Amino acid sequence: MTRRRLSASRREALAFYAFVSPWIVGIIVFLAVPLVVTLLLSFTNWDLFQSPQWIGLRNYSELLFGKSSDFWLALRNTAYYAFILVPLNLVLSLGIAMLLNQPIILRRWFRTAFYLPSTIPIIAVVMLWSWLLAPDGIINEVLSWFGIHGPAWLVDPGSVKNGLIIMGVWGLGGGVVLFLAGLQNIPRFLYEAMMIDGAGPFRRFFSITLPLLSPIILFNLISGIISATQVFTQVYVISENAQNPGDLMLVPYLYNSAFQYQQMGFASAIAWVFFMMVIALTLIILRSARRWVYYESKAR
Amino acid sequence: MIQSVQNTGARPRLEHQRARDTRRDPGPARLNWAGRVPVYVVLGIGTLLMVIPLLWMIAASLSTTRFVTTFPPKLFPTTFDFGNYTRVFTRDDLGKYLLNSVEIVIPSMAGQVLSSSLAGYAFARLRAPGKNLLFVLTLSTVMIPFEATIVPTFVMFRYLHWLNTFWPLIVPQLLGNGYNIFLMRQFMTSIPAELDEAAKLDGCGFFSTWWRIIVPLSVAPMTAVAVFTFTYQWGNFLGPLIYINDPSHYPLALGLYTLTQTSNVGQTPPWNSIMAGSMLLTIPMVMVYFFSQRLLYEGANVLGRIT
Repeated sequence: MTRRRLSASRREALAFYAFVSPWIVGIIVFLAVPLVVTLLLSFTNWDLFQSPQWIGLRNYSELLFGKSSDFWLALRNTAYYAFILVPLNLVLSLGIAMLLNQPIILRRWFRTAFYLPSTIPIIAVVMLWSWLLAPDGIINEVLSWFGIHGPAWLVDPGSVKNGLIIMGVWGLGGGVVLFLAGLQNIPRFLYEAMMIDGAGPFRRFFSITLPLLSPIILFNLISGIISATQVFTQVYVISENAQNPGDLMLVPYLYNSAFQYQQMGFASAIAWVFFMMVIALTLIILRSARRWVYYESKAR
Repeated sequence: MIQSVQNTGARPRLEHQRARDTRRDPGPARLNWAGRVPVYVVLGIGTLLMVIPLLWMIAASLSTTRFVTTFPPKLFPTTFDFGNYTRVFTRDDLGKYLLNSVEIVIPSMAGQVLSSSLAGYAFARLRAPGKNLLFVLTLSTVMIPFEATIVPTFVMFRYLHWLNTFWPLIVPQLLGNGYNIFLMRQFMTSIPAELDEAAKLDGCGFFSTWWRIIVPLSVAPMTAVAVFTFTYQWGNFLGPLIYINDPSHYPLALGLYTLTQTSNVGQTPPWNSIMAGSMLLTIPMVMVYFFSQRLLYEGANVLGRIT
């Protein structure tokens, strides 16, 4: 009896490892080994053709303190983009979701209208907006009706990031749909109970809506930060291989170093610094989430 | 027997789902008409801001070159030219790029759905030493940006002579990913375990339990994974840019970009053809979302409940 049960549990464990084996191979081949190799390469000078030379921490010191290093510029631009776009999209998409959650006619149509742009592949989005935001394009024409002299959105280093943010806001629909689903899962009796107690709409928003949506806010915040820090396609297309100092960002900087200048070691150092920063940012948000995210199951 | 298990399992779930839907609907929240007007105004303006750029894309894709080059710009074309759509196929090779995209996307979707579903089932149902550790590891992989591993991955594919083939784009998708596996596992833990037990009594092994019981019941998350994979691969730009130099192997997203590369510096790109190409890239996306909408909103609700 014992032997049969033992062999049954062993068979189960074997089945488990057989079923997850593709994924384990994926973790090893495409994540673990490349991360370690990136770290090793970051201590070398390598142009892909000659064999790598070990140069210790020189790539990192060049990256962080070198005069010709664009790292801080790329970091500043990325931070500007992410720290404006992500909060803006969170607030706007929550607001829109709350309006869509009202008893209105044509709700499906409104929801579809807000969701539709977020389904468009990013390269098509960039194509569309490069045309619309051209210096003498349609957007500036419309602005001129109101007496506003629009900038050369995607050319002028001072405003190209704002052009990128406009494109980002246009794709906020995914967040709207998640917030709307969350709002519809909030039981109505909570609001009714608070209304009987005489709580106004602000009180109800801060005491019910916001706490019960906080897990979705966390999810949208983290996925927003991750995708904003990884912005590449927009930058690459708009400024011809990211040669515009106004929108040089971290991933285009990494791409240029590796695939334009064949500085594989230096690019690996960028990759590790980038990786560490994304992990740190994510962990800080997750740690802070303990204070502001409310989990229903915990309260029960 | 298995057939009957499946049926009795599936039907109550659907009814339960429907019951939830009616309960979840918030119903009128006591807004009088004066309160509703601002809601409609704000939503209306927002909708216009969302939809008008899209209309411009459609309009430009149907317009003549005059419309996209004239200054000061006109808001809407007055003469139409449907030839842009045929021209991007005959002159610009977009048909070839489209086929390449399909060749990349289909195996990626199949691979991602099957491997994530299989791994999700293992995490949801099977007991094995080291499982929890592996699950934590799986969750933490979603934090690793693809870009952090790009250099060695490129070197590896170069060493394998896989550059200028579709393999570097497809193979990583065949092995699952952390987010999809998590989604599958969350969904599958909500499938009643009695169904597995019944299948086991019928003599099903783990694999056939997965194939005959779990897979038919997890169409919703599998659709979600398929749509996510489609979205990612169909729009993937950085991957093909790095791995594929040969224009005859370009997928549509990268091929579309080549249309902007005019022969002379400062020359206006052929925006009407580019918008026709952008429409070609967009229409399948919109169709995928349209047809999977119900299942996806269900998925969004699952996510809304578990996060």
